[in-house]
Amino acid sequence: MDPILVARHLTKVIGKRTIVEDVSFQLQPGEVFGFLGPNGAGKTTTIRMLVGLIKPTAGDVTICGFDVRRDFEKALRNVGCIVENPDLYRFMTGRENLEHFARMLSVDASEIERVAELVALAHRLDQRVGTYSLGMRQRLGIAQAMLGSPRLLVLDEPANGLDPAGIREIRELLRRLAHDQQMAVFVSSHLLGEVELMCDRVAIIHKGTLLREGSVADLISSRREMEFRVDDIAHASEIVRAKGLQFRADTDRLWISMEENDAPPLVAALAGEGIAVYHAQRHVETLEEMFLEATGGETVD
Amino acid sequence: MFVPLVQNETLKIIRRKRFLIVMAILFAILSVITFAQSRQLRWRSNRNWRADIQQRISRMQEAVRRGRMNENWARYMRAETNRLQFYLDHDIEPDQPTAPLFVRAFANVAGFLLLPVLVAILGADIVSAEASEGTDKLLLTRPVRRWKVLASKLVTLWIFATLTLLCGALLAYIISAPFLPRGGWIAPTFTGFQIARGEFHLDGVRQLPLWKDTLIAYGLDWYALLAVAAIALALSVLFRSSVAAIGTMLAALIGGTILTQVSPDWTTGKYLFVSALPLADYYTGRPPPYEEMSMVFCIALLAVWALVALIAAFAIYVRRDVFG
Repeated sequence: MDPILVARHLTKVIGKRTIVEDVSFQLQPGEVFGFLGPNGAGKTTTIRMLVGLIKPTAGDVTICGFDVRRDFEKALRNVGCIVENPDLYRFMTGRENLEHFARMLSVDASEIERVAELVALAHRLDQRVGTYSLGMRQRLGIAQAMLGSPRLLVLDEPANGLDPAGIREIRELLRRLAHDQQMAVFVSSHLLGEVELMCDRVAIIHKGTLLREGSVADLISSRREMEFRVDDIAHASEIVRAKGLQFRADTDRLWISMEENDAPPLVAALAGEGIAVYHAQRHVETLEEMFLEATGGETVD
Repeated sequence: MFVPLVQNETLKIIRRKRFLIVMAILFAILSVITFAQSRQLRWRSNRNWRADIQQRISRMQEAVRRGRMNENWARYMRAETNRLQFYLDHDIEPDQPTAPLFVRAFANVAGFLLLPVLVAILGADIVSAEASEGTDKLLLTRPVRRWKVLASKLVTLWIFATLTLLCGALLAYIISAPFLPRGGWIAPTFTGFQIARGEFHLDGVRQLPLWKDTLIAYGLDWYALLAVAAIALALSVLFRSSVAAIGTMLAALIGGTILTQVSPDWTTGKYLFVSALPLADYYTGRPPPYEEMSMVFCIALLAVWALVALIAAFAIYVRRDVFG
């Protein structure tokens, strides 16, 4: 299957600062792709290059086989996007906003009803966007992005401003669009948990470069650990190493990659060696820890 | 594909209430002037216009003779005495307070500052507002090339500049009609007064009915407004902030107008677009602020400014990176 989006060696240098360096990835139809990174990592700059708002210093972007810079109109016909904030015309109503963008795409007016239904905004469509909450503007932004049934959705932090119920709705909507209609969905986020729930594949960006790329299962879910607090770290480390488990340690804690079911026997084994175990609990690695580790922060094998 | 874009821009100007503001300003200013005119009419209704004109001429001649005024004013006064004398010689009253003449005078009075300011209000934020409100990110990620987006903004601005001029003329008539005599469209007027090297030339003077003269004056205003719109668009592209764009445009218009009046010795001023804006005035017989400016020069100057502005606007808009 041909990829919908191909980004090759994207680099953006402004002045002497390299904001994005050699970022490459692909999106296949039917997948939700998470673009994960802390604020200021270069997520938005990358997105702006994907949709042609800024010109890459090096590298190129192809959407459905069309180069974004050379065949802008053909490439962008396949894209719906929100960049940074869902900034729509506040002095116009939701419907006028959708009509505005529908005219630019020359799509039918019936499309407006369809996309408004999808994001459950039909009842507020005739009010001015200025009166909308951030969550409603986010939903209107997504509706706008879905006008004309694009093959690629590019959404920058789509969960921003939504309440938990709204986030769940959007998550389900995006997964449905990807899996039922074979769209490719590109979602950026700085929240690990969100990406884990929404995406099939993830790329992690930090300081402008891609740290890792892979399936969510490989990158995040496998990184589930148990945290143990013990009195004798050195002794405990020996025992754990002897069992062939992957772990990290600091002065009084061990983080061991293992399933919860395997915890009671380990606690028993530690206790049998005379080590006091003060607590044992599930530990989901935070994004920050992941970055620390990937960028060579303190890690013990 | 282009018409829907113009439709979009039109909707935005209307929803932003820009045109409403322009209409309100026109209405307010025209009402005040009409009020003043009708008072003046009552005051001098029983006076002899010939004596009146004669008195104005001798006052101006006296002032010129006494000297002590800047060269610009002196030239204007000399031109004006000659014009009035010409009307007097032909036994035609030049400045009757009638509604048609009010409409005609509006072309001169508003053409060099008021109408350009109104067009600046309409145009200076047509691009920069999208940048400051963040909507350009959506506008420019739709499958429409950037030059088409900007061209649609230019066309929309030209449409609204035209509407502003038409509404100005229409409002001038509607507001003044109840207070001033309504007829007089066929009253004779003279055009084609020329000064070259201090000499007053009458060979080019022609007599036209007022309606024809009015159409020509508004045509010249229209041409100048299209150039102003192009310059406003370029500033709007250049500045990301609407306030900066409008401020610069107003400063250029007002500052330029003052400059041409206070420092006539700095002849480079003739290359400023503001010097060429009062086309309708020059057509009526008022000398341009700098000796060497002819009508053709003014028209060409505006064309060059507009062209350069548009080339810069398009070149920048099509290439630049859109950041948040």
